[in-house]
Amino acid sequence: MSNLLEINNLSIDVKIEKSYYNIVNRLSLSIAKKQKYGIVGESGSGKSLTSVAIMNLLADSLSVSEGQILFEETQELTTLSNKEMMKIRGKDISIIFQEPMTALDPIFTIEYQISEVLKIHFNHSKKEMREMIISILKDVGIPRPESIMKSYPHELSGGMRQRVVIAMALICKPKLLIADEPTTALDVTIQAQILELMNELTEKYDTSILMITHDLGVINETCERVAVMYAGEVVEESSVDSLFSHPKHPYTQGLLKSIHTLGDRSEKLYSIPGNVPTPTQLKKHGCRFASRCPHVMDLCKEETPPYVEVSEDQVSKCWLHTERGEYNEQGQKASVASEEYEKTFSD
Amino acid sequence: MLTYITRRILMLIPVLFGVSVFIFIVMRIVPGDLAMTILGNNATPESLHQLREDFGLNLPLYVQYFNWMSGVLTGDFGQSMRTGQEVLPDILSRFKLTFELTLISAFISWIIAIPLGIIAAVKRNTNTDFGVRLISLLGVSVPNFALAIIIILVLSLAFSYSPPIEYVGFFENPLQNLEIMIIPAIVLGSSMAGAVMRMTRSSVLEILRQDFIRTIRAKGARERIVIFNHALRNAMIPILTIIGLQVGTLLGGTVIIEQIFSLPGLGQLVLTAINQRDFIVVQGAVLFIAFVFVFINLLVDVLYSYLDPRIKYK
Ligand SMILES: Nc1ncnc2c1ncn2[C@@H]1O[C@H](COP(=O)(O)OP(=O)(O)OP(=O)(O)O)[C@@H](O)[C@H]1O
Ligand code: SF4
Ligand SMILES: [Mg+2]
Repeated sequence: MSNLLEINNLSIDVKIEKSYYNIVNRLSLSIAKKQKYGIVGESGSGKSLTSVAIMNLLADSLSVSEGQILFEETQELTTLSNKEMMKIRGKDISIIFQEPMTALDPIFTIEYQISEVLKIHFNHSKKEMREMIISILKDVGIPRPESIMKSYPHELSGGMRQRVVIAMALICKPKLLIADEPTTALDVTIQAQILELMNELTEKYDTSILMITHDLGVINETCERVAVMYAGEVVEESSVDSLFSHPKHPYTQGLLKSIHTLGDRSEKLYSIPGNVPTPTQLKKHGCRFASRCPHVMDLCKEETPPYVEVSEDQVSKCWLHTERGEYNEQGQKASVASEEYEKTFSD
Repeated sequence: MLTYITRRILMLIPVLFGVSVFIFIVMRIVPGDLAMTILGNNATPESLHQLREDFGLNLPLYVQYFNWMSGVLTGDFGQSMRTGQEVLPDILSRFKLTFELTLISAFISWIIAIPLGIIAAVKRNTNTDFGVRLISLLGVSVPNFALAIIIILVLSLAFSYSPPIEYVGFFENPLQNLEIMIIPAIVLGSSMAGAVMRMTRSSVLEILRQDFIRTIRAKGARERIVIFNHALRNAMIPILTIIGLQVGTLLGGTVIIEQIFSLPGLGQLVLTAINQRDFIVVQGAVLFIAFVFVFINLLVDVLYSYLDPRIKYK
């Protein structure tokens, strides 16, 4: 199967007062046609930056310092001219941003804002556009589309606005839909509806999805493959099944542990201690997770761990999977740490 | 909407009433005396008394106010105490000039200020931006009369320009009229231009930082659409506010500008009338200007609801 989107060693730097700090570090992933791909990680891990970089819309203070983003194997998005990029944005790749409440221009009607993307890329007549808008609004589950399309964003609820944003993102039948936390701002019942809707529609239009979330539950419900991001790096990349049945990276294990305890009220809520380091706190060498890792070894602090193929469809960036990291500080065998983990959650 | 406008118009009544009382009292407590200015320092007490009697100035103040007001309410602004001319027709004919002057200067300042403000916002923190910010600072802070003198000096030295002596109405000879009006209009509009420039820059910048701008870029829109269709349209709301406020400055500025450039407008009428303590003319003209000001602000408020669908007047 050929890849729709292939990101190779993408690095993004931020300029703060004349010095550059690395945020996203050598990120690689590839999304096949019609695949549902997920990126998961805590707040501040660089998920949104990655998605904005794909659209080539990074803010002035941010820049791609390394790597490529290949779209349909031929177009390199990081070096494409703005003119070429404008043809792709909204048509071949569209994006749903994190905040539905502020994603729409407050002074234009829904109809105007959806038709705008059609006008940019096609030459439909007014009547055709109207019909297309009504039909897509129906598709995203908006009742009475004829009257809703005449309304302004402030007249709609958050869930409705998010449906409008989804309609706007899908109306050109894009090849790739990037959804950056499409449901975090919504309440739980609406969240499930929106996810289901996106699943249905992307199947209908043969669209690939890049689902960005901090919620492993969302990944489990919607994705086939997943990249776990920590502090700007992919630490584990795997099929969703493998990730949930045998997570290998200590960070992934921690994330899963925290959602498992959420379901089981008898246990204390588990969360990984500490915080994601900010770009200015990051060191050049060593494992970025070292400050919070329960299995940290001296080695981890000095040398950057390699990506190791830990199973047939799973890669993890950790010293524990190598000869050199066979024993951790407690003298515990790496593989034992992983087995121990599995035992904890097998029941 | 209609009920809103009606309510706003009703609310103008107390405002204008306040203005009328205020100007009535002010005119009576400023030092200087009408009879004295007319008859000169050597007038006898008897002739002064007689003149005051003729103008009704010896009546109690509330009676004087009542007489004036009841005239105004029926459209009779009274007669000038110096020339005996009807006040209202004089105000209206002179207001034509002031109105034209204000309009031209407002237009010129928008045509210059809004594009420059946009450019400064788009090229923020470059030399262009600093240049625009400097210009707007000068526009806001250099007083009109100073700017007028500088411009007259420069123009007269470089092009042997002199302020026109004879005023020509627009409908008599449009070209000649514009030639006369353009420089006073530029001087008059400088502070509005500065304020509008500053507001355009800051509000376009503010809008460009909003999330929805990214959505529009993500649709594949050109930068031109992003800036003019979306950023500027949204920014027009605060820009309109500053324009509404600046109209007052502009109207006030005409008094000085008309004097400097010897334009026979309403401002000049007021100034002459004040010097001569011609109460009736001053009161009528000030009330009229106040009316124009509140009316324009009402217009601005109505325009808001067209620009911003979130504002619903009930
Ligand atoms: N314009 C910017 N200038 C400087 N730093 C930035 C900028 N945008 C993002 N960052 C930093 O980059 C890091 C990653 O940000 P990003 O928004 O990609 O995180 P995220 O994974 O999407 O988190 P969240 O779940 O909160 O959305 C953060 O530490 C953030 O502070
Ligand atoms: S490399 Fe070391 S610190 Fe990093 S995740 Fe593996 S064990 Fe933990
Ligand atoms: Mg984000």
